Amino acid sequence: MAIVEFRNVSRVYRNGEHEQRALDHVNLSLEEGQFIVILGPSGAGKSTLLNLLGGLDSPTEGTILVKGKDISTLTPNELAEYRAASVGFVFQSYNLIPTLTVIENVALVKEIAPDPLSSHEMLRAVGLEDHRHNFPSELSGGEQQRVSIARALAKNPHILLCDEPTGALDSETGVMVLKLLLSMARDLGKTIIIVTHNQNIAKMADTVIRVKNGRIQSCEKQEHPLAVEEVDW
Amino acid sequence: MLLKKLFRTLWHYKAQFLSMVIMIALGVGVFLGFNIEWYSLDVSTREIYEATGFADFRIFSDSGFSEEDLEKVLAIEGVEDATRYLSINTAVGEEPKDTVALTVSTNMKVSGVLLMEGEAYNDTDPEGIWLSDSYAAANGIHLGDRMTFSYKTISVTGTVKGLVKSSEYLICVPDETQMMPDYTTYGYAYISPVMLDNAIPALYRAFLGSSLYHQINVRSGLDKARFVERADAALGNTRLILDKSETVSWAEARGEVEEGITMGSILPVLFLAIAILTMVTTMHRITASEKTQIGTFKALGFKDRRILRHYSAYALIIGLMGSLLGIGIGYGLGRFILSPDGAMATYIDLPAWPLYAPAFTWIVIVAINLFLTVIGFLSVRKMLEGTAADALRPYVPKRVKHLKIEETKGFKALSFSTKWNLRDCLRHKSRSFMTLFGVVGCMILLVGGMGMKDTMDAFLDVFYGQAIHYRNRVNLDTASVSNEEAGALAEELEADWCAQRAIQIGDKGYGLEIYSVTRDKVRFVDADMKLVSLSDDGAWICGRIARDRQLKAGDMLSFSPYDSDEKYEVPVAGVLDSMTESVVMTAAFADRMGIPYTVTTLFTDREEIPSDARILNTQSKQSIMDSFDTFMDLMNKMIWLLVIAAVVLGIVVLYNLGIMSYTERYREMATLKVVGFKDSRIGRLLIGQNLWLTVIGILIGLPAGAGVLQYLLTALASEYELKLTLGPATWLLSVLLTFGVSLAVGWMIARKNRSIDMVAALKTEE
Repeated sequence: MAIVEFRNVSRVYRNGEHEQRALDHVNLSLEEGQFIVILGPSGAGKSTLLNLLGGLDSPTEGTILVKGKDISTLTPNELAEYRAASVGFVFQSYNLIPTLTVIENVALVKEIAPDPLSSHEMLRAVGLEDHRHNFPSELSGGEQQRVSIARALAKNPHILLCDEPTGALDSETGVMVLKLLLSMARDLGKTIIIVTHNQNIAKMADTVIRVKNGRIQSCEKQEHPLAVEEVDW
Repeated sequence: MLLKKLFRTLWHYKAQFLSMVIMIALGVGVFLGFNIEWYSLDVSTREIYEATGFADFRIFSDSGFSEEDLEKVLAIEGVEDATRYLSINTAVGEEPKDTVALTVSTNMKVSGVLLMEGEAYNDTDPEGIWLSDSYAAANGIHLGDRMTFSYKTISVTGTVKGLVKSSEYLICVPDETQMMPDYTTYGYAYISPVMLDNAIPALYRAFLGSSLYHQINVRSGLDKARFVERADAALGNTRLILDKSETVSWAEARGEVEEGITMGSILPVLFLAIAILTMVTTMHRITASEKTQIGTFKALGFKDRRILRHYSAYALIIGLMGSLLGIGIGYGLGRFILSPDGAMATYIDLPAWPLYAPAFTWIVIVAINLFLTVIGFLSVRKMLEGTAADALRPYVPKRVKHLKIEETKGFKALSFSTKWNLRDCLRHKSRSFMTLFGVVGCMILLVGGMGMKDTMDAFLDVFYGQAIHYRNRVNLDTASVSNEEAGALAEELEADWCAQRAIQIGDKGYGLEIYSVTRDKVRFVDADMKLVSLSDDGAWICGRIARDRQLKAGDMLSFSPYDSDEKYEVPVAGVLDSMTESVVMTAAFADRMGIPYTVTTLFTDREEIPSDARILNTQSKQSIMDSFDTFMDLMNKMIWLLVIAAVVLGIVVLYNLGIMSYTERYREMATLKVVGFKDSRIGRLLIGQNLWLTVIGILIGLPAGAGVLQYLLTALASEYELKLTLGPATWLLSVLLTFGVSLAVGWMIARKNRSIDMVAALKTEE
């Protein structure tokens, strides 16, 4: 069953006379519970795709259906509710709140998510239970990204959106974080969409979407995705 | 090229730059304005004192002074000039309620006039009147008009030949109970000695002889003690001698100058401190956010000196713009208070109102600009520390530290937004402190301004609403009325009475007031502004005498009446709050102590006072009350100014720091927005921090405002004995206004979060 459908979606940025077509009539259908990787060079439109799907931005034209609900016409407040209930984000630069401790950063989502998971459980799952009273600045990059994963999943979202989640980490930590991300999301039955330009990550995906010049170049389903350990990093 | 960048950067940070310019403009403006006020007043009053020969000493005698007496005084070593002088309150023509102090000075170089319009004064003119121009303007009197003045049975009629000002009547009030001049009912006029002589019938003149002039006014640089000693030696017996500081015209005008200096030492300091601290905080934040650009310049090969010069120029430009604007505000404020139509002109009667700024103000303004430039310089130098690579790295704010209170259960129970705001406040201490400082400043101005009005209202209510319990005050002609006659007249008018005479305590002159109060027409107010009845067991002294002479109830007070060699030692029964510097006692006590007196004044409820030769004039309570309208009008204007200044200060400081806080937390708010927080919720979070600091600021500001006001009242105590009074409306309005400002500013900033670009904010490097 398709959890996400893009129907003829375009996103055009206008700056005076200049017009930039970041997404150009994109049609796409993504299956629930899958691990999907969106690949493409810089400026291809992959982040725009992610932002539209995450409700951070709205399309100029076309329709985006998430679990059958059209999110392309939502008001800013409705989009906030959508983000609170349906999507979790993991960013390259973690985006934790520096003045909240680790546990508070995770528990933060309880204030808005309709069906949150236990923040303690989530922290335990990412192995940072002992650091729960530390501030983000007292953690390493990998640890901060694990907090960010815990926070994203604590919302109990349908979809987990990750924008270059290992981009700021060394390869060893990156692999570890990726492994954690996949295992947790799969255990919880979440759909994971990762935007990256790292070809290796694509080897692990159920579906690989290649984007170029704002268009979908290909959408391949992989019968036998590799496990994290099987990829040559 | 760098110049272009400079202007574009100024535009980019326009909110912060504008805030700083406004704050500096306010600081410089208030500083300059207050100093212009007292200094211009100082210069202008000295000019008129000099131009009209304001006397340094006044020698009084009930029996009057002859020309020989004047010669003796002129012969005293150290006396520059002197005049025989007469000033009597006369009724004006058909306007019995109007009083004009008819004045004659035999030598107009002393206690003379300054011609504003018409003919120059002529000391042989048999019918010329040189009238106060303010009285003429208030009563529609013009040059050439005929006027008649009456005193008892004597009338003087003449033509108004000149309109004048006189420093002897710089603050033209009939007596000290009236705070503000009211030219519609009271003024002064000079006539020549010839005209005075002609006006008095030959028989009367023969009887009076030389005693017409009851005063000799003297110009002399001697100190009072030496002058008194020499005058007593020259004239042969003890006289009442007052130096200029004991006259209303000098004391009140100097009081205004002193008041200006006192006010000028508090408010401007508050504004300047906030302006400079705002500058320190804001410049640091701006250079911090410009750090990568500063690093880029360094990496490109720009020398540190050039970069420092460039960024210091921002501070200098802000300082110069703020100072220029502030100089305009300062002169505007000065002009508001000192102008022919300004507030001070209703009080002090000056011929012109030029504005002068004391030299030190310019030095301070230059120093402020230098200081601001140094602040800019130091902020940039910090960012330039280390190698070009170091400078290129973005500024990293201080790490969050764990707080002791975090271990408490109470803290753990706090909502995330509370924890967030609390830690943010502590992480950005200088920003939080500045916000707090701004709120406290706002509160001080509001509580101080409105509290001043409360205090004055309470003062007026007690003195004029309660203590003055009569309708008319009847001044008797002491030369023609005995105490028995006065007593009979008091019975007839159902009046209480008072005998006033001059006394000396140490080397200073005061008033002695002896009261017989049987009909509750006069009441007395103690140091706590409560009504009190006079006891018969001692003398009651005013707060100023108590303070100056360090006396309290139970101590012994020693005084001697002028024109007498007697010395009296009496116990102090208590301390009164009084309009005049005086010693008060009951007639019963005075009789017991054997202090002689002559009844001078009756206090009655009668509306119509019968015409009686023994009555000099009457003064209604209403006429005294009317003069307060002008005073209260002046006060209300000042309070409006303070309230506006408080609101501007609050808005500018809170907006500037709010924007700073918003910019610094932009990324965090973008994160919250991405996570799913609604704009309204994030807005509440932002407003929350402002409100917290506002609550703390209010809690500090309320007592601080009361404290500053108390300090001002203490400093002004030589003029009035005011007791700090703060009404519930002042508390409530100050709190509500400050909260209102904080909420409005918070709302303005909170609205901005709607336009947070989540995508762009999250892409920037942490």
